[in-house]
Formats: sequence, structure tokens, C-alpha cells
Amino acid sequence: MDWDQFDLNPKVIAALKKADIKSIKEILNLSGADLQRLMKLSSADIQCLLKTVSLTLRRNSMLTALQLYQDKDHLTSQHQKLSLGCSVLDNLLKGGIPLVGITELAGESSAGKTQISLQLCLCVQYPYKYGGLDSGAVYICTEDVFPSKRLQQLIDQQHKLRADVPAEIIQKIKFGNSIFVEHAADLDAFHNCITKRISLLLTRGMVRLVVIDSIAALFRCEFGASDSVMKAQYLQTFGAQLHSLSTRFRTPIMCINQKSVMLLYSAVDNRVSPALGITWANQLLMRLMVSRISPPEQSSGVASHHTGSVRTLRVVFAPHLPQSFCYYTVKLEGVKGIR
Amino acid sequence: EIGISKEEALEVLQVVRKECHSDAARTAGGSAATRKCTALELLEEEQAQGFIITFCSALDNILGGGVQLTKITEICGAPGVGKTQLCMQLAVDVQIPECFGGVAGEAVFIDTEGSFMVDRLVDIATACVQHCQLIAEAHQEEDHLKALETFSLESILSHIYYFRCRDYIELLAQVYLLPDFLSEHSKVRLVVVDGIAFPFRHDFEDLSLRTRLLNGLAQQLIIIANDHKSAVVLTNQMTTRIGQNQSILVPALGESWGHAATVRLIFHWDNSQRLATLYKSPSQKESTIPYCITSHGFRDVQPPAVTQNAEGTEMNPRKRPRREEEK
Repeated sequence: MDWDQFDLNPKVIAALKKADIKSIKEILNLSGADLQRLMKLSSADIQCLLKTVSLTLRRNSMLTALQLYQDKDHLTSQHQKLSLGCSVLDNLLKGGIPLVGITELAGESSAGKTQISLQLCLCVQYPYKYGGLDSGAVYICTEDVFPSKRLQQLIDQQHKLRADVPAEIIQKIKFGNSIFVEHAADLDAFHNCITKRISLLLTRGMVRLVVIDSIAALFRCEFGASDSVMKAQYLQTFGAQLHSLSTRFRTPIMCINQKSVMLLYSAVDNRVSPALGITWANQLLMRLMVSRISPPEQSSGVASHHTGSVRTLRVVFAPHLPQSFCYYTVKLEGVKGIR
Repeated sequence: EIGISKEEALEVLQVVRKECHSDAARTAGGSAATRKCTALELLEEEQAQGFIITFCSALDNILGGGVQLTKITEICGAPGVGKTQLCMQLAVDVQIPECFGGVAGEAVFIDTEGSFMVDRLVDIATACVQHCQLIAEAHQEEDHLKALETFSLESILSHIYYFRCRDYIELLAQVYLLPDFLSEHSKVRLVVVDGIAFPFRHDFEDLSLRTRLLNGLAQQLIIIANDHKSAVVLTNQMTTRIGQNQSILVPALGESWGHAATVRLIFHWDNSQRLATLYKSPSQKESTIPYCITSHGFRDVQPPAVTQNAEGTEMNPRKRPRREEEK
């Protein structure tokens, strides 16, 4: 770190060099008293130093809520979301998936999680005007093999699903070329994938969506009941890494969770089993749940035209959405909500 | 430090102290360590402090009026229970004009998780303005109507100062800069850090470093709350503590962090009902109340009982008589 660049008293700069302090992080990690001792400076000098380095890190970091609200630039605006390719589903989510943060899609098997994820991998490739992010996706498989046949079907049927987009635009997009499939069967492979492969794809701007199918599979086998502390640490570290990538590159991370039973902390007397559901849940911005269980409303005619394959997409928690749900079916061309 | 003997140093201090005492312009809010006052004066000062209402009268009641200025209030809870919702509600409510029972302040919102969604804030602010408009219509008083001229959605949004901190270093730096920011923006009466745990719960092999940093942060926030007559509100995560036979959910960041906040609220679920428990408070007793999150924001489960002076008591907690049992 070149301390001479900083707007500091020369004696402070000299003390920094003499104490071999190499970064702002090192300074902020120390208490005022420790810094005084280490650098042999007065408390006033140290206060000044702390404020100067803090200002370097945090200059121009303030926005008013009004500026956030009025920002319509698709590169920075909070209003920009990743569409799911269906107006009913987008309405449930008030636009789509938020661009910064980890969204979890949980539910029993065969409820449609992979279908929704594949659909997102196609949606992200559309221009901003049509709810996409003009970029590709990376799909990390942790247990099953990637469903390439189904992907091809969806690609072929895009014109049917996305009737809102002009045909010329759909034809121009080479959907298959921009979906990068990775396999990671264990934690080490997964760690490598995130830190090397995905970082690279994101840095080059080649992808703006990361799908992990599924996060649960990674942790199922490797940890026994007594390893809960270590499991929690891994979950937190991965969560933090994913969160950091998402923030840096304004890229949604979609994690599929295949737990068969989702407990919503309906803990009796604050007791929960140490399933570490909460450690992972603390990393999430939004949790969605899909199920095949037909809700009681189905009999009232909502789904009577759709034979037997009605599913529910439910918002379990999100900072900007109420707990709500909608119905959908999985058709040849993809996932479509039912009004 | 300046190379004089201990006796000489004492002499200097005594001279300075005498100078300070004779300075009649000393203000009450100053950070002078030598200011003396009686406990009665302190009590009166404390009772005169404002509260920021939460719009959930049950919660305001158990807190003794609302979220108190000059204190640190911590909200703990599992994801999705409503911590960020209450923070956003408070960032709006702190701005309520005095004639409606508010403290007419501004808010600083430090976001470490990225869960601050401005569209939701707009819903909450719009509902608050409408609420005040209804009161103004009912009472038809001059000052209500005048206050509403400047209490609008745009003005509310423009007085919430948002900072996004992406790791603990950015958070530490931001807090070092806060005192100067608050001096420049002297109308700020609320500082929110949502959430305090997120940046500190990974990345720390050395837990003693974490404890030291958190303690330092707590001390700085206590000073900020006092010096700038602001409420500081922090949100914290829950973690599982594994006991012998069972596991329970406890606030994250460890035992020593538990001393940082003056008031601690724990939000939790009972089946599908959200509950708030006042877990720690210097003056109020431990109690639990239900609340809900509506499209308008943070609210009571049922509308509070309507009496003759309903609007007055709801919106003017400072005018509510102080009951003996509440001390």
C-alpha cells in the first residue's frame, strides 16, 4: 500500500511504514489503543488516521432512498429483476428474481424446481427490455446429470413460451452456447468451481445467472450428525462467497434445495432439531417453495382444465414480498403460471 | 506524552477543569467527562427523551412508548420474521412530524445483507402518509395541515440515508465516519444497522478478534446514540446452541455481544403467528406480544380498541400519562 498517496501527516505516514502496516484492513482490525502503541502516536493522530482511511474506503458511498427509487438505469437499479418468462409468475415476485442475493428454490422432488431453473437459464439470455440480462448462465449439477434433452425441447419451444418477444430476436439468440454446465459432486470440487470457474465466467461478463442444483446434495453425505459445527462453517463460508459474487457482479444465485420437509421455524418452545436449516437460511435473500400438493382451492375450478399436474409456487420469505402463492403447470414449452 | 512529570500533569488538569466549570455555556449534550449531575436530573432527562413509534401499539406499549432515542435496541430473529420490515417502518416513523406525535427526524440505514428493497419502503411510507392525512382530516388543525405539506413520499425517501457495506471492514469504516456525518446531518434521529451479524459470521478464525471488534463497534454506537440523541437499531441473526438433550435458538455473535444493546427484542413464530418478546430492558418487564406484517408495514394483529381519544393516544405517545406500573 502506498501510504504517500494518502492525505496524512508525514509523521503518520512514516509511522505506518515503520510499523510495517500494509493495508487499510490491518489498520481497521486494530483498536485505537493498539494502534497508538504500535505506531507510537497520540490518540488524536490515530483518530485522524482512522477517519482518513475510512474515508478512502467509503467516499461517495451514500445514496438516499429517493435516489434508489428513482434510479431506472438497468445497470444499477433495484427495480431491475430477472424475469421467469411468465407474467403470472413474475407478478407473484413483483418483477422476477432480484439481481443481488441468493434465492432458494425448495420443495419435494418432481415438483418442478429443475424446470424453473432451466427456464431461468433461457430467460437470462434475452435483452433487458424483455426481462433478461443479455448474458448466459452457469448451471452446477451436484448429483443428477444435466437434463440436456429437456433443455433442447425448451429451446425449440421458446417462441411459444415467449409470445411477448418478436420472433427475429428469439431466432438470433444462440441459447445452447451460453449455458455453461459444471459438475461438482463434493465440497472440494464445489469450492474449486466457485472460486475459479464461476469467478472467471462472471469477470468476463459471460454469465449473469448461477444455478446450483442442488445445494443439499453437497452436504448430505459428507457430514454425520456430530459434524454439525463443521457443516455450519462450510455453509457459512459458501454462503458468504456466493453472496459476495452476487453483489460484485449483480448476478442472481439460484440454489435448489431438495429437502423433503421444509420447517418454517415453527419451532415449539424455540426447540429445533440441529438440521442447520437456519445456518443456510440466514444466507438467503428469498426462499421460494414449490409443491405438487393440490391446495383445497383446486377443487373450486381453478385447475379443472389442467389434468393432475398443477403445482404451487409459494413465497416463504422475501424482504419485499408478502407470503403468497400462485399455481403453475409444466408444459412442453416450459413453466407457465395459471391466472 | 509531552514529557512533563506526574505532578505537573495533575496541576494542568486541575486548571483546565476549573476553566470548564466556569464556562457557563456548557451544553447538556456535551461529551465532557467531568460533567456532574444528580440522578434526578438524569431521570428527568431520560423521561424527556423521545420515542419512535413502531405503528404496532402492542409493541410500543411493552417498550414503554416505542424505540427509545439515545439507546441501542437489538432485534433478533430467524429469517423472514420481520426484522428488516420493522427497520424500514422505523426509518419512516422517525420522520413523522411532531404535531402527529413523532420526533421529526431523519434516518441512516446501513445495509450489510442487501435486503433493503426500496419498493417495499415506498409501500410503508405511502401508508404512513395516508395515516397522517386521515388524522389531519379528522382534526382539521392548522399545524397538521401545514406539516403534511412537507411530509410526503418524496421527502420521506430523501431523508433516509442509505449505506451498503459489503464486508466487516466497510462496516467498521462506515461507523468511524458516522459521527462526522451525523454532525453534518443533525436531524438524524435513527441509525439502523441491518444486520450486524452477517459480516461477522464467517471469515473469523480468530474469534477473539471478532469479539474485540464487536465490542469496539458497540462502544462507538453507544457514544453515537448519546451524542446525537439518536436511536440505534441493530438486527441480529439466530443460531442454534446445542445443549445436552436439545437445541435452542439463541441470538448470534456470542455471550459478550449480549451486553451491547440496552434493549433486546426477539422475534419468533408460534405456528403462523409472529411474536415479539422483550427480552432485555432496563425499565420494562419481559413480555410477549403478537404482531403482523401487512402491505402497509409493521402493525398490530387487531386494530387497537377504539376509544374517544384514540387518534390522540395512538399518535402522541409522549402525551400518554406515565403509569406507575410501567417503571
